[in-house]
Amino acid sequence: MAEREPNVAEEESTVAEPRTIDHYLHTDRFPHIWCPGCGLGTVTAAFLRAALELGLEKERTVVVGGIGCSSRAVGYLDFGTVHSIHGRALAFATGIKMAHPEFTVIVLTGDGDGAAIGGNHLIHACRRNLDITTILFNNNVYGMTGGQASPQTGMGGIATTAPFGFDEPSFDLCRLAEAAGATYVARGTSYGVRQLQRLIRDGITHPGFSFIEAVTQCPTEYGKRNPPKGPVQMLENLKEKAIPRKKAEGMTPEELEGRIVTGLLHRDESVPELTASYARMLERVRGSADE
Amino acid sequence: MSEALTLTAGLLSSREYVEVRFGGSGGQGVILMGVILAVAGTRDRRHVVQTQSYGPEARGGYSRSDVVLANAPIDYPQVQGLDLLVALSAEAAAKYSDMLRRTGFLIFDSDEISSPPLVEATSYGIPFSRLAIETTGRTQTTNILALGAVAGLTGVVSVASLEKAVLSMVPKGTEEMNLNALRRGLSLTPEEWRRPSA
Amino acid sequence: MELWYTHLMRESIDQDSLLVQGNRACALGALDAGVRFFAGYPITPSSEIMEVMARELPAVGGVFMQMEDEIASICACIGASLTGEVSMTATSGPGFSLMQEAIGYAIMAEAPSVIVNVMRQGPSTGRPTTPSQGDVMQARWGTHGDHPAIVLAASNVADMYRLTIAAVRFAQRFRMPVILLADEIVGHMRESFSPEIAGRYRLTSGDFDFTETYTHPEMVREVHAPHELGTLIHPHVTGLIHDETGFPTNDPKKSEQFLRELHDKVVHHRDELCLYDVKNVGKGRVAVVAYGSCARSARAALKLAEQEGIPVEVLHLYTLFPLPVEIIQELARRVEFILIPELNLGQYAREVRRLAENWTTVVSMGRVDGNLITPRDIVDRLAELVGKYESS
Ligand SMILES: Cc1ncc(C[n+]2csc(CCOP(=O)(O)OP(=O)(O)O)c2C)c(N)n1
Ligand code: SF4
Ligand SMILES: [Mg+2]
Repeated sequence: MAEREPNVAEEESTVAEPRTIDHYLHTDRFPHIWCPGCGLGTVTAAFLRAALELGLEKERTVVVGGIGCSSRAVGYLDFGTVHSIHGRALAFATGIKMAHPEFTVIVLTGDGDGAAIGGNHLIHACRRNLDITTILFNNNVYGMTGGQASPQTGMGGIATTAPFGFDEPSFDLCRLAEAAGATYVARGTSYGVRQLQRLIRDGITHPGFSFIEAVTQCPTEYGKRNPPKGPVQMLENLKEKAIPRKKAEGMTPEELEGRIVTGLLHRDESVPELTASYARMLERVRGSADE
Repeated sequence: MSEALTLTAGLLSSREYVEVRFGGSGGQGVILMGVILAVAGTRDRRHVVQTQSYGPEARGGYSRSDVVLANAPIDYPQVQGLDLLVALSAEAAAKYSDMLRRTGFLIFDSDEISSPPLVEATSYGIPFSRLAIETTGRTQTTNILALGAVAGLTGVVSVASLEKAVLSMVPKGTEEMNLNALRRGLSLTPEEWRRPSA
Repeated sequence: MELWYTHLMRESIDQDSLLVQGNRACALGALDAGVRFFAGYPITPSSEIMEVMARELPAVGGVFMQMEDEIASICACIGASLTGEVSMTATSGPGFSLMQEAIGYAIMAEAPSVIVNVMRQGPSTGRPTTPSQGDVMQARWGTHGDHPAIVLAASNVADMYRLTIAAVRFAQRFRMPVILLADEIVGHMRESFSPEIAGRYRLTSGDFDFTETYTHPEMVREVHAPHELGTLIHPHVTGLIHDETGFPTNDPKKSEQFLRELHDKVVHHRDELCLYDVKNVGKGRVAVVAYGSCARSARAALKLAEQEGIPVEVLHLYTLFPLPVEIIQELARRVEFILIPELNLGQYAREVRRLAENWTTVVSMGRVDGNLITPRDIVDRLAELVGKYESS
């Protein structure tokens, strides 16, 4: 482990040089596994810029991923990182946060990881309102395993397991999270990176469960089979489809068909956060035990 | 302590290895009887294992609780025969009396069981439910009253340990009432309730 | 000086006697061993363990969580364990199956954790309130891939307390999940025992001492520095095959070395891990090898058989895995045959046969009707076998 010793203190003494996101990256682990034109790196960078803005301390920040291309991001990040198992990142994170409420805990997950195999953990994590920030990379496909359908593939989408067109509707993940009890819900895209960075930053500072859906492109496994083809075209498509929440409010459902409503969608500060309530319970129990 | 009591006390307590079953239907407090006997036996410095039937059997009809008491560590945890069967329902009496040893005791609630099985073991039929009502006004104390009778008639555990065990196990606020029931049970004389054996 | 086994002593009926339910004793053992994180999901016949933890953990500042399922329970435990907590979960067969993938993760990531499986009859919902030993092989091989396992089996209430502590210590020392098997009978029974045995586990294999003199054991082997999240090292933890840095590797040499080291850390410490007890050592013509509830039947059968003129040796195993290879092979050299009573169709008998068949005959005696094997059953079978092998 010696050669990987953290250098926080050293860097802090060289104040003059402004930090870049490299501060939070194991650049020695590059090249990364992502395909050219993939949006996952863009979303990860947005998260890291938010971390820079907040000055997250590496030793007090734990980032947990599941399994998938998106979850692989944790392997390049210089925080405490856990590359867990498929779908269960939130369950791991729950243990970590409850054991150490002082940690900043971030979960990076995919649409398959977070909404299919891990869907039950997602809704329960929302309900508990534990102070974890979840960034779900939605690329509408199982990227890592080679282009199978995900719950977010959408009606008519082509996947290796839906060669004739997928015939199941998708979740509206943000509405799902809100209904399940998440107290901070937002959506951004890998095109609107500044907005995404801001949404992630605010999600991390929000004291409760934050859910951020990052809609992004998988040119290799999704784009290959579905229009528009090519990373640039996919990004342009994201730009066209995205519509800020404020603007969307005045529109009819028909007009909103196929659009991606972005921005802060829901925020509620009135719900108690779980580690805080648990601490109060401990105090109550231990107080009465002393009497 | 009545004279009759001193006559029989120590009968089961002097045996090296004693196997007991309490049987009845759900809600009669049969499990609690087993647990209280186990606590009392532990207080007597006996080695004790208490088991009970769980699940469907425990929910609906039958309920049973077994206690093994011994002077040496107990290997096999379940009863293999019975030295004492306490039956609070006709089903329990019918179902388990086959396991009774000839040297054992059958003690049953004669309010619940009108035609008890004929056994070679020593048999006592006692109207526990009625006596409980008379003593405390509450049918819920039937199990504790029966425990008193069981200890008085067979000496399976000591009176002092049983009293302490009852006090530690019954709900707060009901100690007095349960002690009354226990003492009523302890005061019963064997001659009065003895039934003919097979 | 404060006793280290305070939780147990609060149960005492008077100074020198205890009467505790098995599942409760397990929870008390966990608390006295320093378990401060528990996550679980209710299932008969193990739920009392989580109920006791829910009530007792807050008072010692610990964390209790009822999760949405058993997968989440074990994963939360592993998460907590990666921050340095000693964590535990408890379940029964169906929940144990759900945990398997994550158990493999904990082995790979070397995350210490204790998993208690109070076995009931299966497969599937089976008979939820009847005892069984049907998960022995699942405990050994339930998760995928080549992997080591530490599996203990409790036969009485004192075991539920002491073996839980042993499981915690083994988990800490070997940095891996440890599985404690019990069954419905052991979990639900109340049994008296003397507090004296709380601290000491006197076993033939040597004393496992948990008294106040006990100090935290050294870690057995380190593939990479203990990955305690939230420390300066801020490590990377992964279920991928990794090297000493903690990061994934595809190097075939390193992969093999890593997997072999995971194995070796357990196998090379068999002496320490194999807890057992032999009764009548060297005096039996025949032997019974048993664990859990069946070991109690075997011990009772020993006395009965003696009265009936059959000299029997009983090997009571507290550790099922790693396999007590030498112990079983020594026994095999001494006796004419080995009988293995189990509440399954011969799962452990197969293991013993593998080890012993060069020297002796191994006979499986399985029972799966939901009842225990009685001492009488064992003695009758022994008599039958003695007759058979004499006449042949
Ligand atoms: C229990 C289990 N089932 C299946 C897999 C195989 N698997 C790995 S990643 C993945 C899908 C990932 O999809 P998503 O979460 O959308 O991530 P992406 O690769 O698209 O970023 C699957 C099915 C696994 N690792 N574990
Ligand atoms: S398969 Fe898709 S999601 Fe995975 S790295 Fe390639 S482009 Fe990105
Ligand atoms: Mg995906």
